[in-house]
Amino acid sequence: MKKFTRVSAIAASLALGTSMAIGVTASHAAGTTLTMIAADYPGDGSTQQAQWTDFATRFHAANPDITVNVTVKSWNDIDQYVATQIAAGKTPDVVNKGDYSAPAAAGLLYPASQMVSASTLADILPTFLNNSKYNGTVYALPDLASARALFYNKDLLTKAGVTKLPTTWSQLYTVLGQIHRKLPGVYGYALPLGPEEAQAEFNIWAGGNGGQYYDYATSKWVLNSAANVATATYLKSLVSKGYTEPNPDKCDRTACAQALFAAGKAVFINGSVFLGSWLKSNGGAKINFGTGSFVSNTGHKAVTLGVQDYFTAYKANGNQAAIQKWMDFIFQPANYAKFLVAAGGFIPATKSAGAKAASDPALAPFIKLLPNAVFYPGDIASWNAVKGQIQQGIGQAVTGNPNSVLNSLQTQAAAAK
Amino acid sequence: MSVATSAVATKPLRKRFNAGALPWIGPAIAVIVLMVLYPAYTMIKTSFMNIDETGTSHGFTGLSNYRTLFHNPNLVPVLERTLIWTVSVVFFTVIISLPVAQVLHAKFPGRRLVRYALIVPWAASVVMTSTSWLWILNGYYGVLNRIMLSLGLIKDQVQFLGSPTQSFAWLILVAVFVSVPFTTYVILAGLTTVGEDIMEASTVDGASGWQRYKHITFPLLRPALLISMVINLINVFNSFPIIWVMTTGGPGYSTDTTTTLAYKITFRSADIGQSASMATINFAIILVFIALFLKVSRWKEND
Repeated sequence: MKKFTRVSAIAASLALGTSMAIGVTASHAAGTTLTMIAADYPGDGSTQQAQWTDFATRFHAANPDITVNVTVKSWNDIDQYVATQIAAGKTPDVVNKGDYSAPAAAGLLYPASQMVSASTLADILPTFLNNSKYNGTVYALPDLASARALFYNKDLLTKAGVTKLPTTWSQLYTVLGQIHRKLPGVYGYALPLGPEEAQAEFNIWAGGNGGQYYDYATSKWVLNSAANVATATYLKSLVSKGYTEPNPDKCDRTACAQALFAAGKAVFINGSVFLGSWLKSNGGAKINFGTGSFVSNTGHKAVTLGVQDYFTAYKANGNQAAIQKWMDFIFQPANYAKFLVAAGGFIPATKSAGAKAASDPALAPFIKLLPNAVFYPGDIASWNAVKGQIQQGIGQAVTGNPNSVLNSLQTQAAAAK
Repeated sequence: MSVATSAVATKPLRKRFNAGALPWIGPAIAVIVLMVLYPAYTMIKTSFMNIDETGTSHGFTGLSNYRTLFHNPNLVPVLERTLIWTVSVVFFTVIISLPVAQVLHAKFPGRRLVRYALIVPWAASVVMTSTSWLWILNGYYGVLNRIMLSLGLIKDQVQFLGSPTQSFAWLILVAVFVSVPFTTYVILAGLTTVGEDIMEASTVDGASGWQRYKHITFPLLRPALLISMVINLINVFNSFPIIWVMTTGGPGYSTDTTTTLAYKITFRSADIGQSASMATINFAIILVFIALFLKVSRWKEND
């Protein structure tokens, strides 16, 4: 018995020693392996996998001691996938998706100053960096941004006899009424308050009435503010008149609102930078559309919604040096331009690329609207949770009772961790 | 050694059964432990923990997740709806399956074909069936709208899945559609156990068709009926795909049941702990159903 124990102990220690030795040699030979999880931007059926594989291959050629594995995930799956990887102890090194505040609050992230070199950081537009802070420290790098504009179907407007674009809520109400009378079967405004992107749609309308989701002055969620209730009440009046599609609380952006616009069944729609190219590949190539500024309530400025996404770097694997090399590589102007092309026509987050984009006819109208952009309160740790609640619930504020729906959302937001 | 031998001598059967059966039941035990007990343990543990949306655990928090859940304004309506959902789907399923099984039990040309046809909605993936229904009912392009417009039954397109009440009714209809085949087959199996001789005897005694069904067939069907009902209760209660595919519980939370609510709390509201406590309560309700099922089975044994 004793002998057996001793033998097995020796065997075990030998095995351990060997494996440690192998481990050491292996890490010398293979160097660092970075894992990255990236959201897939293109909405036209292509994917960014090829672009990321190309980046990883060229990066490895230039830095033989660093291997990068990029996993590309759809926007529907990525939040869940990243959370599952972290919970399973397989924390990625770099993530590219739409939020950063929760991991920043949990202390999982490197600050931006450690993610890239000082010169790369200096090239990133300050507006976007300002939206990437948690408790005053920049914890994420903006990868790109988008803005919204009011898209309208020119042919339908002509048919309805509308000659002047509305700029205020009351003018819009009149114009939509005129469309309703002249063009049966056509909805004046496609209002996507279904779960897919209700938070964006409502944010733009509320912004045009001086409303917002979060009040930085008092550090409180203000979902049921008087301005927001008035916004919901105004939208409810459009819905009940039949100026929008029926059941806006069930209408998702892509499958419902954009599809109606592509089919020539909606005159106005809130569209992102990529709506033009989306229409081409989704049966709306013939739509003769124009873009303009959103409407606002009298006495308020019209706003647009700016949305930016982020690169974040996790501390768990301690690969800070390798991460910095990789991120600097991504932000090299030539590579960054390729990233933007693969993603499909977004607004760049760097000064060098931004200068070029300003002369791009597809992007110029959006860049012009950017100074009046409002952003999501993405730096608040509970934003992701509150966003989910808004997406589920806010549609019912325009089909049901605006007051009670917004009050209920406010209660839930205040309770969100 | 000697102790073991005497044990074998006094309780031979039991001892030999334990040792010998292990290799055979081992895999089953392993599957139950790994796939049922461990996840259940993790779920219950999670419901007492504070886990943020990044997946990082911040330790135990006692009952705070349950407290959050009980303050969730959607919980009570969802529990009520789950009850309506389960009871009405099972009720209509049984009401429809009873006559259908009777028809399939009768002898007629092409019976085999009809029996096969009934298996289709059961064999097809529920996600597939629900997706078909989603498009049949689509308010803009759906075929049901097309047919009803052509027949002049409606003047304008109807958003069948638009309003909470209407879409919930459609969900129940689809759930019944999916549950009927299984239930019918269980009842059909029950019908084959009803002896021809009893039926003949009752006919000779002058019993009418309805009297025969009421006093002979139906009482003899009770075991099959009870089992199919309890299995249906569990299935329907836990049903996720029909609701998720057709309405995602919307608009808002107005067609959610406890199962879809638990999913939404995790993946929409990013609150893993609260969701785990919802799932644990769901699990507790299901345990009651299973206890009921076991009781029913034993009742059958004693009969």
